[in-house]
Amino acid sequence: MSSRLCLKLETRLDELERLTVAVEDLGQRNNWPSDFIFQVNLVLEEIGINIINHGYDNGLHEFEVTLTSELKSLTIEIIDAGKPFNPLKDAPSPNLTAPLEERPIGGLGIHLICSLMDELHYQRDGGRNRLTLVKRRDP
Amino acid sequence: MTVTTERNGDVLIAKTEGRVDGTNAKDFQVLLEDAIDANETAVLLDLEQLSYISSAGLRVILLIAKSLRNQKAKFAACSLSAPIREIFEISGFDKIISIHDSQAEALAALR
Repeated sequence: MSSRLCLKLETRLDELERLTVAVEDLGQRNNWPSDFIFQVNLVLEEIGINIINHGYDNGLHEFEVTLTSELKSLTIEIIDAGKPFNPLKDAPSPNLTAPLEERPIGGLGIHLICSLMDELHYQRDGGRNRLTLVKRRDP
Repeated sequence: MTVTTERNGDVLIAKTEGRVDGTNAKDFQVLLEDAIDANETAVLLDLEQLSYISSAGLRVILLIAKSLRNQKAKFAACSLSAPIREIFEISGFDKIISIHDSQAEALAALR
């Protein structure tokens, strides 16, 4: 049995709270472990913040988040009509081994997304970024 | 999110409670910066009651760690929940910040 959540969010930071509440509700209804809910929320925040802060030069815009929870996996799809951004290619990989003095500030968001999800697919079509992520549930 | 501070000998303990995310990371930064004096010699970030942190909050912890290193102060974090510890490890923070299982262990290391 699958369960789906579809949200249209505006490019405002306070929309992230609405997303968190909806994801926690979906997770509880589908018996996700608390670590799984934590990681999914984190991934969605990182992606949402990128769209809100960097996707558009100005104005309020809408983006769509769809979560499909199945027995063995969760699929997340995020669609926005902002600037083209392929997180698989357009983000520099952070230096995770430099000593404290040389460690750059920032750049961890995309790295966290890639580490916490099992699959990432990016497509630019019809002027929109379509990011599809899959996270498997432990057997 | 709240930050409460207390002193234990020379160590300033900053306990963070709740969520640190992209909506309040700037407040988190201001609270920590206000709590830490320029002549501080040791700071312990107690994260036992931290329920969530994203890259926006990690960024603040890295800034504080760098700034304390500049003023030659010791810095450690303690009592991270398992998912938060995993986020620290994925981010490579366990290599640059001293992380302890309990406050007592951290205080012993900072002295």
